[in-house]
Amino acid sequence: MHYLEQIDEFKRFRQSLIDNSSDGKPCIVIGAGTCGQASGSNDLIRIIKRQILEQGLHNKISLRITGCLGFCEMSPFIVIEPGHNLYPKLRMENIPQIIDAALEDRVIEELLYTEPGSYTKCYTQQEIPFFKGQTRTILGQNQRLDPIRIVDYVKTGGYASLIKVLENPDPDWIIKEVLESKIRGRGGAGFPTGKKWEFARKSYDKTGQKFIVCNADEGDPGAYMDRSLLEGNPHTVLEGMFIAAIAIGAGNGIIYVRSEYPLAIKHSLIAIRQARDLGILGKNILGSGIDFDIEIFQGAGAFVCGEETALIKSIEGKMGEPRQRPPYPILKGIQGHPTCINNVETLANIPQIISKGAAEYAKIGTINNTGTKIFSLVGKIKNTGLVEVSLGTPISKVVYEIGGGPVGKAKIKAIQTGGPSGGCIPASMFDLPLDYDILTEVGSIMGSGGMIVMDENTCMVDVAKFFMNFLKDESCGKCFTCRKGTQRMYEILDNITRGKGTLAELELLEELAHVVKDTTMCGLGQTAANPVLSTLRYFRNEYEEHIVDKKCTAFVCKDLVGVLCQAACPLDTEPWRYIALIEKGEYEEAYKVIREANPLPSVCARICDRKCEQRCSLITSGGEPIAIRALKRFIADRVDPLIYRPERVVRDTEDVHEVAVIGAGPAGLSAAHYLSLSGYRVTIFEAEKEPGGMLITSIPAYRMPKNVVRRDIELLIDENIILKCQTVLGRDITIDSLFTDGFKAIFLAIGAHESRRLDIEGEDVEGIYQSIEFLKAFNLMGEELARGYVGIIGGGNSAVDAARVALRQKKVEKVTLFYRRTRQEMPAYEEEIEAALEEGVELELLVSPVKIYSKNKYLVAFECIRNKLGEMDSSGRRRPITVPGTEFKILVATLIVAIGERPQSNFLKSMGIEIDKSGRVNVDIETFQTHHPGVFAGGDLVTGPNTVVDAIAAGKKAALIIDRFIQEKELGEPPKVKLPEVLLEPAVVSDEELEQAKRTVPPILSVELRHNNFEEVEKTLSVDEAKQEARRCLRCDLEFIQHKNGSTIEYETVGEKQA
Amino acid sequence: MINLTINGLDVSVEEGTTVLEAARFFGFPIPTLCHNDGLTPLGACRLCVVEIGEEPGTNLVSSCTYPAEEGLKVRTASERVIRSRKMILELLLASCPQSKIIQDLAAAHNVKTQRFKQEYEDCILCGLCVRMCTEQMMAKAIGFSGRGENRRIGTPFDIKSDVCRLCGACMYICPACQLRCTYTEPEKAICGACANLSPPCLEKEGFNDMMCYMSPCVACEIKKD
Repeated sequence: MHYLEQIDEFKRFRQSLIDNSSDGKPCIVIGAGTCGQASGSNDLIRIIKRQILEQGLHNKISLRITGCLGFCEMSPFIVIEPGHNLYPKLRMENIPQIIDAALEDRVIEELLYTEPGSYTKCYTQQEIPFFKGQTRTILGQNQRLDPIRIVDYVKTGGYASLIKVLENPDPDWIIKEVLESKIRGRGGAGFPTGKKWEFARKSYDKTGQKFIVCNADEGDPGAYMDRSLLEGNPHTVLEGMFIAAIAIGAGNGIIYVRSEYPLAIKHSLIAIRQARDLGILGKNILGSGIDFDIEIFQGAGAFVCGEETALIKSIEGKMGEPRQRPPYPILKGIQGHPTCINNVETLANIPQIISKGAAEYAKIGTINNTGTKIFSLVGKIKNTGLVEVSLGTPISKVVYEIGGGPVGKAKIKAIQTGGPSGGCIPASMFDLPLDYDILTEVGSIMGSGGMIVMDENTCMVDVAKFFMNFLKDESCGKCFTCRKGTQRMYEILDNITRGKGTLAELELLEELAHVVKDTTMCGLGQTAANPVLSTLRYFRNEYEEHIVDKKCTAFVCKDLVGVLCQAACPLDTEPWRYIALIEKGEYEEAYKVIREANPLPSVCARICDRKCEQRCSLITSGGEPIAIRALKRFIADRVDPLIYRPERVVRDTEDVHEVAVIGAGPAGLSAAHYLSLSGYRVTIFEAEKEPGGMLITSIPAYRMPKNVVRRDIELLIDENIILKCQTVLGRDITIDSLFTDGFKAIFLAIGAHESRRLDIEGEDVEGIYQSIEFLKAFNLMGEELARGYVGIIGGGNSAVDAARVALRQKKVEKVTLFYRRTRQEMPAYEEEIEAALEEGVELELLVSPVKIYSKNKYLVAFECIRNKLGEMDSSGRRRPITVPGTEFKILVATLIVAIGERPQSNFLKSMGIEIDKSGRVNVDIETFQTHHPGVFAGGDLVTGPNTVVDAIAAGKKAALIIDRFIQEKELGEPPKVKLPEVLLEPAVVSDEELEQAKRTVPPILSVELRHNNFEEVEKTLSVDEAKQEARRCLRCDLEFIQHKNGSTIEYETVGEKQA
Repeated sequence: MINLTINGLDVSVEEGTTVLEAARFFGFPIPTLCHNDGLTPLGACRLCVVEIGEEPGTNLVSSCTYPAEEGLKVRTASERVIRSRKMILELLLASCPQSKIIQDLAAAHNVKTQRFKQEYEDCILCGLCVRMCTEQMMAKAIGFSGRGENRRIGTPFDIKSDVCRLCGACMYICPACQLRCTYTEPEKAICGACANLSPPCLEKEGFNDMMCYMSPCVACEIKKD
């Protein structure tokens, strides 16, 4: 490369580069920015290079090592040009076949990107939803060039804007272009760049010295777009700076970059050196008579140094502290000389504006928010990475389309934009466009473009606390209000997350936040209160929940949650405790722990939905949760239930009152049991011929044998409980008649037994059954209603149950489940779906029934229409949208409708009980009281279809409340956090054992043996398996016990013990 | 001359005057803690905030650092200003309740209680001592270090300063404590023998390197003997 002295020489140089370029052969593009290198791209590069060398492929394939390409979630990935086939998350062993395929112009199907939840492969980069929705005018360049090769940049059109400017070095023209492009500063506040330049142009001091500074002091937690630009395309930033320098008349440029960005510094240094060597920086550049040079200044990493006055002090070598503006840096900056400070991304946009022209640039985005903005999308979202969209794009598009929506089942709750100085925007406002003004209006800021996605497992108080912790460290400390204010806000937030906050403190917090915002000098302090103010604005309920109810629904605040598995259980069971007891072999003790909390242990050991496992700490540390239900089953199957003798309250005869419980399902039975223990006499009225409710009528025997349910129930019915079956409320008894008969209180728990209807024409023909009706007929009467080809409509547990039951009936040929969304959205338990598929049930996804065909009142077929997934609905799942013209007919003999249930409760209205549209009884959520005094309700009747464990919890709570009601005490109870109180010595587990330990899967009956019978599929764990599983437990309880005893117990770590 | 309006009164002041100076000159009192006429304004305590601009879109700025500008509208005691000042005083009381100056200011603003967790700090980091040392005593013996909650005042590297002349001006000007000097830990390189009834240098090891303002020092005299 030789020194270029004339503009024409540069043009010839570029032309020669283009002429000599070896386009046409395939090119391997690999992103090796900091993020790429962290995920292993260096290893891949090594392998690629070796293969090219060893096989002599120089002339057949090329390799381009670029900066960050944005799709960090899938790193390390490779794009093969010219086809733009993207292979995500590669390992070293994949490389040879990729190179082979690229040479032969083939695509390796199995390595291509597949959108999670669908099975369609994306052949090119542009087909991937993450890239499809973006406008990558700035970031897109990263892919086309190797940042340490200036020739790459020049070849792809780099420095063309600079040449344009050098040929016509008229500052007024440049400023006019920038003004007309309406670009606003990308650093956060959004001040029009053109205006800033105009001021800077006019500002002079005696020496005539002026500075242009590129602010790359990016310090927001979770934001890294400036880093990626400097790493991936440093020349474009240099070019932008140069143009700015010509516009404002500056002779010196400084890139202020934090020293934590070594790769960005390295690449910028290389770029500056190359530009100097080529004659683009230095004296008399390309013969134009213009002198300009750039140097790099490394900041020590203080967040506040991103503020322009602090940044100037830092460059001057002083302590990074902001000062009063005015005077603005434009007038008095570095050493008193006029200084214009622009953000990296702003400067990267400048060459675009000059080359395209202002008018063309202004077409991107909206009227006052032109151009694109890069966001770093992080947090609880599928596709983390850098996203560049035109301003004005709705938030929802970024979050759901480009970002791919939530990671797990938890719904997205809010996004946080603008880093610590920004604010939160709740999901209900995701329709808003991303632009400077709107974000400010809703209490957040654009900031530098950090976007942190938060879901239901994020506690907003904790988020505010996190940012406040950051700010109290990063405040420079000069202004008393900022320094002390952030400390005090942190103190109050910390109190709240520990359950020690008061409502008065919350008020004080808000008051203080406003004062801090008002009275602080610099941008950091003025926005330091934003995390508090914006979370208070949209999530005040969470603060109040922490303070009043002492609850953290996101399960984040330790002191309010306690041990996670215990906190997750509606029954407050202590899984950690019985797991520890299993490990010690104390099975009877373990049984007592289970039984004390749960009156139906064998039932829950089989069909509980395992909320505890979903919260297990092992998941957060990247492992698989403890098989808590299987361990419970191990105990429930092994220990004689009679060893548990509950404590009973003995009451005087005149104090013993009668309570009526309607419905002998899990809720009713639990209520009756605990009322009996409290010394009351209970009569349970049950409509069916035996107790158990849904447990008997609809849970199939292969999941839970009938004798198990019956035994659990038998054990509950003691001498204080009278069970009256086939007695129906509304037919045999009424609420008034019960009160007349002397009952003091009534607990309604009749469940939800009415199936929802499809509401399509011809639904009432023979051969169509509601799932409840179908299951009940079989479970109670042994009637087999299904025959021939059976279609099941629905995707919930009862649909899967119906499918598996139907498959076991004699006259059935084939069973297919028809569901309107994809398998990912199916509400049924994953293992149930899996088992159904194993047994031969087929799945037809994304279809909805539209029409029924019948002959002589008998079903013969039904018509379906295909769906595609659309926008997110209120449940956080994507809404199915029918695709017209895709109708098709299926010949079926039986159709089972399982699209949900509702309580059969209309008759209750006449007895003075209020019910809502969905048939649920209206109660006070705290006290279960209906509007009829003395009448309480709980279980599915109140919540709609729900899990067995929630029903038991409702019964348990109802018993407590009814006791208080009869004793004429206050019904509500002050909230209480339940922390572990028993110390159980932890097992000594070696590191190797921990590493090798895997979640134990209970043995299951093989598929062949399940044919046409109802034998229980899942079996009990063996003693060894159970012990092994129990040893995996992290024993979160110990943290609290230690805490309680004032850290007096100290456990040796395993490593020490071994040594 | 620059024309501006303070609390509705049209006034003109010389260029380079701060809003604080202008307001005080025309008889509008503004409380300050970190301000001293002989020192460069710092704007650290924020007590002197005033409201500038016109509704809507007014701002609070520290009057001690804000230059008087042509046409500026200033209100020195608007509701917003008073509310902020009271909160600042409450914060000051919560951190440094023993200071007579802070107590008096709080009383003057009718702030009688504070609602935060009570602390007893002996420095509000107003920086008067630092500026005094640098600007008036020409010593530059002490300065700020650290940031955020770790910000504090001390000698470089917290060792005995060679340039300190033990003039005591830092103590003289301190509004919070009257004592840079009740420190008793050796790592805090500034002693407080002057205010201590029992000088730490006498009783503990490692105090030989401490800054001391006593000259002659009773303790040293005793030690010598």
